[in-house]
Amino acid sequence: MQSKVARGSADASKANNAAGSATRLRRSSRLSWSYTLTNWLGLVPFLLFCLLFEILPGLTIIQGSFADDNTGAFTLANYQHMLSQASNLRAFQTSISISLVTALLGGVIGGLAVYNLRTGWLRNFLIGFSSIAANFAGVPLAFAFVATLGVTGFITVAIHNWFHVNLYDLGFSLYQFWGLVLVYTYFQLPLMILVTLPALSALRPEWREAATNLGASNFTYWRRVALPILLPSLIAAMMLLFANSFGAFATAFALAQGSINLVPILISFVVNGNVVVDFGLGNALAVGMIIVLLLAVSLYTFMVRRVNVWQGR
Amino acid sequence: MSIAAQKVNANVPRRKDQATRRSFGMDKVFLVLVMLYLIVPLGATLAFGLGTGNGINFSTFQQIFSDPDFSQTLLISLELAVGATILAVVLVTPTAYWVQLRLPKARPLLDFLSLVPFAMPAIVLAVGLLQVYSGTPNPLIGILSLGLVPVLSNDPFNIVNTPPLLVCSYVIIALPFVYRPIDNSLRAVNTRVLSEAAYSLGSGWWRTFLTVILPNIWPGVISAALLTFSTVMGEFTLATLFNIYTFPIYLNGVGQNDPHKAASLAILSFIFTLVCVLGIILLVRGRSVVSRAGSQINLTAVK
Repeated sequence: MQSKVARGSADASKANNAAGSATRLRRSSRLSWSYTLTNWLGLVPFLLFCLLFEILPGLTIIQGSFADDNTGAFTLANYQHMLSQASNLRAFQTSISISLVTALLGGVIGGLAVYNLRTGWLRNFLIGFSSIAANFAGVPLAFAFVATLGVTGFITVAIHNWFHVNLYDLGFSLYQFWGLVLVYTYFQLPLMILVTLPALSALRPEWREAATNLGASNFTYWRRVALPILLPSLIAAMMLLFANSFGAFATAFALAQGSINLVPILISFVVNGNVVVDFGLGNALAVGMIIVLLLAVSLYTFMVRRVNVWQGR
Repeated sequence: MSIAAQKVNANVPRRKDQATRRSFGMDKVFLVLVMLYLIVPLGATLAFGLGTGNGINFSTFQQIFSDPDFSQTLLISLELAVGATILAVVLVTPTAYWVQLRLPKARPLLDFLSLVPFAMPAIVLAVGLLQVYSGTPNPLIGILSLGLVPVLSNDPFNIVNTPPLLVCSYVIIALPFVYRPIDNSLRAVNTRVLSEAAYSLGSGWWRTFLTVILPNIWPGVISAALLTFSTVMGEFTLATLFNIYTFPIYLNGVGQNDPHKAASLAILSFIFTLVCVLGIILLVRGRSVVSRAGSQINLTAVK
């Protein structure tokens, strides 16, 4: 019955042109509306998945950091707890400084390595090896370094046998700050090489020729032309490295079984501890990590946007 | 090397040339040092793993392969990795194509969602997930998740503290380096023209996607899949906090007692990563499109 009416109205609109255009207009607007709806429907599975496993955990952490563990009432006690313990603050200090140091070390050495790369077997080898080494991290990396530079490690013993010097008597330890820096740099440096490689190839040789033609020295070229162009990419890459090592947990945990006081290790103890489980404090620490990382990530996106504007992508 | 270069230069009086040659030598020295830093730990680990007593013996490898925990945890990790890889590719590829074609407005949303894991590393995500899927009902979360979390926390579909939950969280961890290469590939090929041509020849959405678009973005999909796979195989953080006995946890346990065995296992892991990365390089380089995606194939979350 209804379909007959609809067909009738369709026939009528065909017959009457003026009325027909009005109907068509209405129908097309309804069509475009349903078209938009279908468009968004296609995104539903992915968005639901992200909501369930990405957004909700994030929101829970933020909400939980302001809530009492037992009653759920609003409280600032978790943050007070976090800030009142010196070990928590020291963990943030260590985590941030280790990330800064490895980001700078990886950034400078990696940047120089990329700059010095020329065609040839060394280039192919270094790039290929970097993509492996950047992915070789976590527990296996920690044990590789224990086998190399641990107390009975291969190199430690070799140095002892050849030079009769014990590295650990000289104050070196793989299980402390600088040891961890050495291990982290192993995945930071290759990452930097891979990330900055495309940025440096964006530096066109014509720019150098133009600068030289205009009388610029090598130093002036770098200071006035190349570095300003490269700087956003380099900073973006270093922010990536910073975030990369700030969230790193497995390497440090496997290396020292928690004897290094880093924020991720602290969180794992608070949340998964044998003695006490304190999700409130864990949430507060996690929010602290998120804030630090948000700074790094926003600087990263800001710099990437600048690079894209400059290179006209 | 530098001596040879100087000898050649001795016949050439121009100083500038000499300077560049010498600095070229310095470059090489620097690069060789970097290479040494990357290679020495691996060589030392191999030597440490093989040389338990006197001379080289393969007894540690024999011990490892006969250990039932080794094969068991490896199998669990393989299952998790295959599951996460399939789920990530199946979830992200059609969505990225859909957004590219029908809803470019939603691109910032996808970019944002794929950036979030940078600000929320595995340890933080684990803390959040442990509370969301704790089994105790929370009305606020129930409403915000449109009633899905209570469904997933109760019996027919219970995922609390099970491998499926781990698989889902691995997909989130892998999101940045699944979405990027696929999106880059989609931008590099002319998606809209290809799709319109396919539609005008009478092909439907799924057929267009599977037979026209997918073969063209294959390099991106392969690198996304292999990166997810290799990340999940090495992931330690979430598995510890969810108490699921995977290969990295076995490796960590072994390393506390027997560093020689751990060194051999680390070498096996390295060979595994090598195979995955070589797979990406060979499969992706062999095909025509996408060179910029290469810069993005390297971000992992297993640290």
